[in-house]
Parts: sequence; C-alpha cells; structure tokens
Amino acid sequence: MKSKYHNAYFMIGAGITAVLALLALIGCFYTPYDPDAMNLAAKNTGISWQHWMGCDNFGRDIFSRVMEGIRNTFFISVVTVAIGTFFGLLVGALTGYFGGLLDEVLMRVNDALFSFPSILLALVMVSLLGMGTVNVTLALGIAFIPSFARIVRSEYMKQKSLDYVTSARLMGASHFRIIFVHILPNILPILISSIIIGFNNAVLAEAGLSYLGIGIQPPDASLGRMLSEAQSFLFTIPWYAVFPGLMIVLMVLGFSMMSEGLNT
Amino acid sequence: MVMYYIKKFLSMCATLLVVSFFVFAAFAIIPGDPATSLLGTNATQESVAQLREQMGLNRPFLVRYGEWVGSFLRGDLGESYSYHIPVSSMIVEKLPITMTMSVIALLLTIVCSVPIGVLLAKYTGSRLDKVGYAVNQVMMSIPAFFLGIIFTYVFGLVLKWFRPGGYVSYTKDFWGFLKYLIMPSIAIAIPKCAMAVKLIRSSILTEAKKDYVRTAYSRGNSTTEVLYRHVLRNAMLPVVTFWGMAFTDMIAGSIVVEQVFNIPGLGRILLTSISNRDFPVVEAIIILIAVLVLVTNFLVDILYRVLDARIAES
Repeated sequence: MKSKYHNAYFMIGAGITAVLALLALIGCFYTPYDPDAMNLAAKNTGISWQHWMGCDNFGRDIFSRVMEGIRNTFFISVVTVAIGTFFGLLVGALTGYFGGLLDEVLMRVNDALFSFPSILLALVMVSLLGMGTVNVTLALGIAFIPSFARIVRSEYMKQKSLDYVTSARLMGASHFRIIFVHILPNILPILISSIIIGFNNAVLAEAGLSYLGIGIQPPDASLGRMLSEAQSFLFTIPWYAVFPGLMIVLMVLGFSMMSEGLNT
Repeated sequence: MVMYYIKKFLSMCATLLVVSFFVFAAFAIIPGDPATSLLGTNATQESVAQLREQMGLNRPFLVRYGEWVGSFLRGDLGESYSYHIPVSSMIVEKLPITMTMSVIALLLTIVCSVPIGVLLAKYTGSRLDKVGYAVNQVMMSIPAFFLGIIFTYVFGLVLKWFRPGGYVSYTKDFWGFLKYLIMPSIAIAIPKCAMAVKLIRSSILTEAKKDYVRTAYSRGNSTTEVLYRHVLRNAMLPVVTFWGMAFTDMIAGSIVVEQVFNIPGLGRILLTSISNRDFPVVEAIIILIAVLVLVTNFLVDILYRVLDARIAES
C-alpha cells in the first residue's frame, strides 16, 4: 500500500538525511571554525550569529564540532554496516544455500552471537582489540555480522527451492553464479531494509560507545563524546548537550522514516 | 510438551557452552600475558615464570578451559587481577542494581505499550493515530542515554525532583534506591516502549484482516468485543518475543544509562575492568549476561507456547 501519507514519511526522512549528509560532506573540507581551536574569550557563550550553536567550556565552536562529529559518526556507521553486510551476506548465502553440517555449526554460533545486544558485543571486542576509532569500527562491524547473516540465510533457504533456481541449475549455471547473479537480486529489497535498520543501530551503538569514552578519542569530535563532556556543564551551558544529542536523534529519525516510507 | 521444554533447555545449555568456549578462547589468544601484566613491566623473568606456573597458564588450552567451566559451575568466577578479590563477590553486589533497573524498565514498557498500541490500532487512520504514530517514530529514535541527560537537566537541575548523582545504595535505603532508579528506568523504557507500540499496532492491524475476525463480526460482536476477546490475544504473540529481546537490550542499555546517572552497577565494573584489562571480571560479566539472555529467550519460548493454543496442541 503506497499511500500519500507514507510517501511523505519517505520524503521527510530523505530530506533530513540529505541535510545531515551534506553537513558531513562539507565538514570534510570546511567548518566555520577550527573544531579544535580554543577561544577563551568565547567560553560558554550562547547561541549567536557568530556561533550558531554556541561555544563549549573551552570556547570551541559547537557547530563546527557537531559537523565534525556527524562526519565521524556517518563514516563509522557506513563502514560498520559495510563490514556487517559483506560478511553477513557471504556467511548467510553460503550456509543458507548449501546447508549441511557447516550450516548447523555456524548457525549455532551465529544464534549465540545474535542473542547478544550489539553494543555489548562491541564492548567485548573493544576490550580485546583496544580502544580507538579503527578498533571500534571493526568491533561494531564484527558485532553486526550475525544479524545480517541470519536474515540473508533465511532468505536463501526460501529462494533456493524455487523453480527459477532449479531451472538455472539445469541450464548448467554454477553454484557461485546462482548465489550471486540469480538469487541476490531477489533478496535485495529485504537486504536494503535491513541495511537501513543496521545503519540506525550502528549510529546508536557508536554514539553509546563514544559516550562511554571508548570510541573516537579526543581531540577528535564525536557526537557521543560531546554529550558526555557536556554533562559536566549541564547547568551552565545546556545547549552544549542539546545539539549533539539532537543530531543523533535526527540521524536515526531520517533513516527510520525513510524505511517507514519504503516498507508500507 | 515436556519433551519440548527438555529439548529447548538442552539446546540452551549447548549454546551457552559455545558462548563460553568463544569467550575463553578470545581472551586466551589476545596478545598480552596476564602474568606479565599482573607483575608489571619491570618484573624478573623468573617471577613471571613462577606466576605463570602458579596460575596454571602453562597447561594445555583445553585443560584450562575445562577447569574454567568447572569452577564456573561451582560458582567460583575467579579472582580480579586489579582488586585481588573474588569476582563473584564483586558481581553479586552489583547485579541487583542493573537487574532492578532493567526489570522496572521492562514493566514500564509492558504497562505503557499495550494501551497506547491498542488505542492507535483502534483509531487507525484517524488524526489521533497519525499524530501518535509520528510522535512514536520520534520517540523510537532518541537514544536512552540522551533521554537520561535531558531528564537530568529538566527533572534534576531545573525542577529538582531528584538529585543528579545522588544514588542511594539498596542496602542503606531501599525506597530511596528505587526512587533514584525510576528516572533511568524511564529513560531506558521510552525508546523500547515506542518500538513496542509500533509493533502492537501493526500486529493488531494484521490480525484484524484475518478470517476469524470477520466471523466474529458476523456473529454480532462489536468492535470492542472482537478486539479484546479475539484479536488482542493473537496479536500479542510477536510482541512477547519483542519484549524478551527488549529486556536483553535493556540490560545492555543500562550499562550506558548507568553512566549518565552515575549508578555503580554492572556497567561501571565492566567499563573499569575493560580499561584496566581485568579479564576475569570481563569474562565473568559476559558469561553472566549470556546466561541472562539465554534464560530470557527460554522463558519467552515457554510463554509463547502457553499463550498460543495452536502451537500448544500440536
């Protein structure tokens, strides 16, 4: 059912995401101020024409830092989802298509991992690999593999017994060709919606980990870390917490509204 | 029926064994020798070798794994590297805090999501539903720890309903403890509640299209009667599974929210142990959470059977 109401959801979601993506993109080349530059004269100043989101306790421009933070969060989330999708697709496709003992063993492991909340898996990985941006991205990526593998596997199990697969097989197509050329396009819609959900989970997990201080390390700005820094100054400069938090909400909201519009 | 439960139970134990093996293996193969890190970098080689012998690090991997599982089953979770006290005593003290918070959050989610979800489904397509749905969508997108910060500012600093950081230990003042946990629990509950509302609404709307609903209508039942007597019960099945998943998520989410409200729960020791590389504590907490997750899933399975007459009969 494609109603006007749900298309509106998609448009608003796409609009929010586009604006944030643009901010992130511009943030790669230009920010109004140096995000790390401290300006003691501007310490704790409120919202003004010079500083759209005010300044933090070091006099750093919050808007510039938010731009850098969005960029970092976007980047980590995209890489995380890419890792999760790629390996999840590989594991899910092979186990779902071939079945057998390997499937049994891998799925037992996968179910065990899947039942863990992803932020916890990432925490465990970080405790093994160490902190920092690269490790957190890797940890989140690995933590996201099981959920993708599970979805992809069940789709492949459904598809492999359909007639078009049998006829492709009879025509002499190799397993590799069937898996990636014949079946893959048919599971794309489900894969795309799980990518969107995965992206949202990645944004939330990254923000959570950075808030806990084990994600992006200072002085690099990250939305989650800004929130934890802002907490000590909640009474004097509340807007310091509001803007980074709002950006996290908008990032998640944009994607979830897009998927809402797509699904219904 | 009983066979099913036994099978599920055994499969739960098998999964737990797999998890424990992975956890043990992961912490065994990481670089960094526990004996060296315990003694510091300027320890002599002899003392490191002696400690390795003492800790049993020289024995084969599988033997150590077997002993580790054995001691876990006896309730001995090892000793903390940094505090030199049994891990079990550290955890036993903190577990009630995290569990209380997650259970309150779960109860709030259940109590709030059902009536709101039913309301939105009942008036589907109306202005109430459209506005409610949009608000719900926004609520879903707010991370619990950001809500926690907003609560700290609004209810703690501006309205002064509670004192931020004023955690009271449950051994001293149980009511004060519960009162302090309300705000973090609400912060954890809101996003989950919104997700549950969305699920309940769509689940009811899917059920409402089925044949038995038309039959119920044709027998002269009113919408209210059909909704509460027939539809709701079936519509709740997927929601029960969601609540189970939400509960395990809440336990993990409470790790972050604990930091917002400065609550010394499981999250606090997990984080300090991770940064101190205090692996026995990290391992024990992971296994503990794995047990909680698996037991929750097991209970959800049982509940599912009890609720769904169709599965129960077959």
